[in-house]
Order: sequence, then C-alpha cells, then structure tokens
Amino acid sequence: MTVEILEIRDFIAARHPFDLLPENELATLSAAITVRYLRRDSVLMEPGDNVDALSLVRSGALETITPEGALLARLGEGEAGGVRALLRGGRAVNRIVAIEDALLYQLPAEHFHRLRDAYPSFAYFFAPHAGDRLRGVRGGSDTLGLTTRRVGELISREPVTVTPTTTVQDAAAIMSNAGISCLLVVEDEVLCGIVTDRDLRSRVVAAGLDITQPVSAIMSSPPLSVQATDWLFEAMLTLSRHNIHHLPVVRDGKPMGVVTTTDLLRTQTRSVVFLASDIHRRTTAEGIRDTLIHIPDLVNELVEAGASARSVGNAITALADAATQRLIQLAEQDMGPAPVPYCWIACGSQARFEQTARSDQDNCLVISDDYRAEEHGAWFKEFTTRVCRGLDIAGYVLCPGEMMAMTDQWRQPLDQWKRYFRRWIGQPEPKALMLSSVFFDMRPIAGNSTLFNELHDEVLTRAKGARIFLAHLTSNALTHQPPLGFFRNFVLISGGDHDKTLDLKHSGIVPIVDLARIYALDSGHPAINTYERLEVAREAGKISKQGADDLIDALEFLGLVRLRHQARQIREGARADNYVPPSELSGFERSHLKDAFAVVKSMQGAATTTYRGGMG
Amino acid sequence: MVFAARWLQALIGPDLVRWGLAARHRGTPLGDYYRVDTPTIREPWDEVGFLAVDLETTGLDPRADAIASIGWVPVTGGGIVLAEARRHLVKVSGPMPESSAVLHGILDDQAEAAPDLADVMPEFLQALKGRVPVAHHAASERGFLDAACGRLYGAPLVVPYVDTLALEGRLRQRRGEVLTPGSLRLDACRQRYNLPRYRAHDALVDALACAELLLAQVAHMNKAGRMDGSHAIRLEHLLT
Repeated sequence: MTVEILEIRDFIAARHPFDLLPENELATLSAAITVRYLRRDSVLMEPGDNVDALSLVRSGALETITPEGALLARLGEGEAGGVRALLRGGRAVNRIVAIEDALLYQLPAEHFHRLRDAYPSFAYFFAPHAGDRLRGVRGGSDTLGLTTRRVGELISREPVTVTPTTTVQDAAAIMSNAGISCLLVVEDEVLCGIVTDRDLRSRVVAAGLDITQPVSAIMSSPPLSVQATDWLFEAMLTLSRHNIHHLPVVRDGKPMGVVTTTDLLRTQTRSVVFLASDIHRRTTAEGIRDTLIHIPDLVNELVEAGASARSVGNAITALADAATQRLIQLAEQDMGPAPVPYCWIACGSQARFEQTARSDQDNCLVISDDYRAEEHGAWFKEFTTRVCRGLDIAGYVLCPGEMMAMTDQWRQPLDQWKRYFRRWIGQPEPKALMLSSVFFDMRPIAGNSTLFNELHDEVLTRAKGARIFLAHLTSNALTHQPPLGFFRNFVLISGGDHDKTLDLKHSGIVPIVDLARIYALDSGHPAINTYERLEVAREAGKISKQGADDLIDALEFLGLVRLRHQARQIREGARADNYVPPSELSGFERSHLKDAFAVVKSMQGAATTTYRGGMG
Repeated sequence: MVFAARWLQALIGPDLVRWGLAARHRGTPLGDYYRVDTPTIREPWDEVGFLAVDLETTGLDPRADAIASIGWVPVTGGGIVLAEARRHLVKVSGPMPESSAVLHGILDDQAEAAPDLADVMPEFLQALKGRVPVAHHAASERGFLDAACGRLYGAPLVVPYVDTLALEGRLRQRRGEVLTPGSLRLDACRQRYNLPRYRAHDALVDALACAELLLAQVAHMNKAGRMDGSHAIRLEHLLT
C-alpha cells in the first residue's frame, strides 16, 4: 500500500495542467514520482540524451537552451522540463541546465503518456504545436451570440404579408388577429414595404387618413432590411442607428421574417442595445458622455457573461459608431445640411471593430470633388471641429497625433485622398508609413458611402501585390516582438532580460493586427476587422490555414486576457490599461500566453520570408 | 547477548557480526534482515541503496520512551522513490506525554488504534534489507531502533547510519565555516540548499526532508571539487 505525501500531492494538484486531473490520478501520480536534486550549473539533459521522465521543478530553476545556444525558456517552481524530449520518443532536443539549485519531481514517461491518452485536456497542454493548445481554450464562449449567431436563427415564424393594395383597415385587422406589431408588404414575392403599429398611429389615426386607402399609402418604402446570413450585431447596429424597432429579414431576395428590438433584447444584449438607442436620444455631447460612462461596467458584465473578445469589440465599437453618428446628426441639425456630399470615416481600432474602451479618436473626412475650399471650407471645418470636440467630450479624447477630421490635412476631397494613398503605397517611407498605417484601417460611419467605396477600391487595387509597400509594412510590423514567456513573476524577453509587466497590446495584439493588415492588403480584400482579415487571407491562400487559425486563436486569447485584466481594474476602481503584472496571471493563462507569443513569433518569421525575402 | 554482539562487532567488524546474527536468529524478521549484506563502503554512492528514516517518540530516552510513529523512504540510483515511502503510527502504552502530542500531532486515540511495534518492525526491516539507513541526528533513530530490536528479537540492530546532521557539520567545518547553535537543524540545513520548506512535520515528511538533504549534500560535495563525475562519491564519504 502506497502512502500519499500531501506536501507533494498538493504541490502537483495546484499546478496547471495537473489541476485538470481527478483525485485518484493525482494520488497515483505523486506515488510514482522520483525526487532528484540538481546542483546549479549541472545539466539535466543534453541534445540526444535518452529522457524517461518529465521533470517538474519543485524549487530552484532550470533553463532550456537550443542546440544553437539560444535561450528558449526559463522554468521556475511548478513548471515542467523535458516535454519536447518525451514527445519526440524520449530523445532530448534541447539542453536543460539548472540555473539555481533545484529539486525536481520526476514523473515516469509511461505515466506521462498514459495521462495524455486518458485526458485530452491534459494532452492539450503538452501538444507540440502551440496553436493546437490555443484551439482548446478559445474560452469566452460567445454567450451573447452577437458574432456567432446569424439573424436567420432568430426568425421563428413565417412573416405575415399583405399586398400593397390591401386596405389600411384590413391590414390593421390582420395585425390584431395575428397579435403582431408589423406587417411586410410584398409584391411578386419581393419586399416593397413595412407597416408598423407606429405607422397606424401616426400616419392614419393622427393624420385622419381614410382607412379604406391601400397600405402602400402609409408603408415605409423601400424598407431597411438585413440578410438572414448577417450577424446579429449587424442587425443590432441597423436598428439602433436608425432608431427603429422592426427590421425585415431577407433571404435570396425574399422576405423570411422580421427581427425586432425585443428579439435582440432576448439574446441578452440588453445593455448594448439599450445604450446604443439611448445615445440616439441624447441631444448634447455631454449627454452622450453620460451614456457612455457605463462602458466599463458593460465590458465587465460582458466578460463575466463569458463573451468572446471579438464580440466585446463589436459591441463596444457599436457604441463609438452610435456616438459619432449622433454627433454628426446634431451638428447637421444645427448647421444645416452639408453643401457638398462627404463621408465620415472611422480609422484604427474603431474601423476594425476592436475597441474595448473609450480610446483616442482616429477619423477623417472624405469630401466630394465638388468641394471648393473658399466656398465650403468654413462649413466643413466647423462641422468636423464640432464632431471631433463632441467625441472628445463624450470620452473619445482628441488624437495626440491629430489623425482627425478636424485636422485640415485629414479633411480633404476624394482626389486629394487618392493622392495621399498613391504616395504612401507608391513611394513608401518607413516613418511616414508608420504614421499613416492607421488610415489603412477605415470604415464609413456617416454620409455618402460611395465616396468611401471609391477611395477604398483605389487603395485596395494599388496595395495588392505592391512588393515594396508590403515589405515596408512588414518591417513596421516587426517593431513589436513578443516575449519568450515568463519566469516567476517576470516577463522573459529574448536574450534573457526581464520585464516587470506584460504589455498585452504591443507584445501580442498589435503584431497580429499588423500582420492581418498586410495579408488583407496583399489579397486586395476590403475586410477591416482583424479576425475577418485573417479569415479572408486564409481563403485567399495568403497564409496557411493553420497559420490563420493560430493567429485568430492567439488574438482571441490575448484579447480575453486583456479584457479580464481590465475588468478587474475597473472593479477595483482603477483605470483600465494594457499592462499586466505576471503575478496576476494564472498558470493556465501564462502557459497559453506563451503559446500565443510562439504563434506570433513564428508568423512574424513567415511574413518576413514572404514579404521581405527573408531579411529581418 | 546485546553487549556480547557489540563487543564482537568491535573485534571482528560488522559483516561477520551480521553473519553471526543471521545464523543465530534465523526465522525471525531480524534474522531475515541480517541475511542480506549491506553495501561495502567503497561502493559509489548512487549504486548504494539508502533508506531515510524518521521516528516520532514519546521522549528522548530509548530505554524509557516509546516509538509513536515511523516513516521511511528509499533513495535508489541517486533519486528518492516515493512509491516505496511508508508511514506507520505505533501503539503506545499509557497516555502520550502532552509535549510530544502537541509536537507530532498524534492524538491518544489515534495512537491507541495503531498497530503494535511488533507488527510494524518486520515491514521496516524488510525495507531496510540491503540498504543503509539515513537520518538527521541518527543517534536518536539508532538508539530507538536498536532498543526496539533488542526488546522484540533479543538482538541489536547492527548497521552503519548516514547522519545528515553530522555530515553537514563536517562539510561546513571543512569549508572553514563557523557552526552556530541551531544552524544544523534540518530546516536550517535545507534552506541553505534551496530545498522547499515543508509545513507538515510527521515521520514520513521528515524522512523525505532528510533524504532530499542527502541528495543536496552529495551534489554539493561534487562541487567542492572532491572528484569529478557522479561516481566519485562513495559510501565511505558519507559515513561519519
């Protein structure tokens, strides 16, 4: 009969991934261990050595070094050495040496392999490919469904339809009988209008209209609609943007139902939808700020509800969009309509649907080429200043780099914008490119989107396959390098230096965003969101399927860790930032962050080969 | 009889004594134990089997006080084999003295329900067969185990001990260090070798702690430049 030594069992049970094992396995495991001591500077294994056990560090520290002499990892208390050797049939790949006197718990190889076979979650942790491990942890199931559910899924009943010639009275009777608040008006199977309770009230009763008139007299036509294949958040945006409650859903051109605000509320997106529609009721920038003040709480709620980083980005960005649109509306109400068409464009993280808090504003204005500075200049200067200052008041502070529509340089006619991009792409200079890269992520927010489309088409056509331009972008993308991993409560940087905190943004998220931009521009695809860019680059064959999937998972994991960190800061009344002290990270988070870094590093290497011909 | 054996041991050396004792006590657990030789002192340390052992007792006097629990763990091939670690409480006649009950966390009724020492010793002697016992301040274990064998089998337990406390004192004196009171206590020794601090103190955890200390001491003897390679250290270097 073996006896359990609690000191050892408890130590192992507290360490990831051993914490995933059931009680009886932990007991078996701790009884199977051989304890060894390694003096500082002595070698645990050399490349080629036979390795028959996993070495868990109980005290002291080990260092893993490649045959070429590069530092690969430092292993402190609770971390395991010899994993790669065991996965390579018991043959050491790297050199492992004690850098402090170390006590090791050695787990025999046969137990290690048996546990990997029996427990997939345990096996995940030791998967030879970092991306495979991240695949398992795509935590943050998107319970909101904003980005995982399509509008079509909300449709539970056939739409009730009438023809345009139906009388108003008959239409009202049909609605009463069916107990519904809106009717779709259809002619030859094509949607041509919508009639709601509100229309009956305001356009019939209040206006004293003859109830024998056809519904075509009171319907909204052509109605706004969404495709059944659109994501829920797109429907949510359309509803809140236009301050309406009913949205027809179309499949293959035919109406298949109606999605209502109530339907969306039922998907638990109450807070986001509520805040978005609240913004549209506000009449001042201060008012909008009072609504947006709830963003930190909202982020906190979403994180606790298990939302994915991607869907949180969508939700929070939707609020920035709503604020911008409302401020534009207010400015136009006050100043009268624009003298010539324009398009308000969001840049950077707002364009990418990747905001997680109110951040600096990045935007610009593309004006129709009918623009005459002496004639229209004053209006647009006043207009953009009002909106940018309004955003500043609402919490989106003025961009320190002045990448804003109120800056003269970034409020230009379409033709001038085309010249800007022609220069950035045709004669790229590294520094100028770094500043302007924010403009390669753009999305129309208000105004005439044809202007945006024309500019964006031109940009995409020019950037596609522009070798020198892409090479410069790649150099910029390499300015932020992920760390190697962690050692105790430090971040271990390539070469062996230590940092006290992990900069989640620059050590992982920004490099992925930068890579995705390069792939998308090289594909000539209009996608802006980083996840989407990676998906289209994968379809276009610009990166391997595995590479794209790895980066998507790494981004999601990094995003989640950042959100959890920020939610914690908000709960503690601190200001949310990107700097995580390693002591705040669980063993689970640490090991998966390390995997995310490995993915980023390897994809940076791949991009260097593709776009810079291998030159770092 | 015990005294005669001691006298013989001094005269003809331990192996002959063990042989004689094996012959005389054939069929008893102690006789079986003696049939297997202990390693010779010239053997490389990592080819020697050790058994780290720790006792919890009701007092300090082996003749008057009793063993309340025993824990052991073997060291084989330079590693501690947890699969063969054991811990036993032993029935103590009469109430546990209050001071030691507090120290070891053994309560009277636990000690009442425990097996007699006579039921535990055979398993211990079986584990010790062919191995060298290791203890921190081995005089205590030596005295109590010897007395127990004398009482149970009418013969002494003749075996060389590795004493990690004495070894530590010797190693540090050799390095010219001044020993301060308490600096040779088990926890203090372990700290110097970067060994973890154990919260619990029962016979098995202390036996394990002692075994780990031995591994650390050997590793650092190599460093001290005694000789190169893992085979450089032999059993004789560990005996004091």
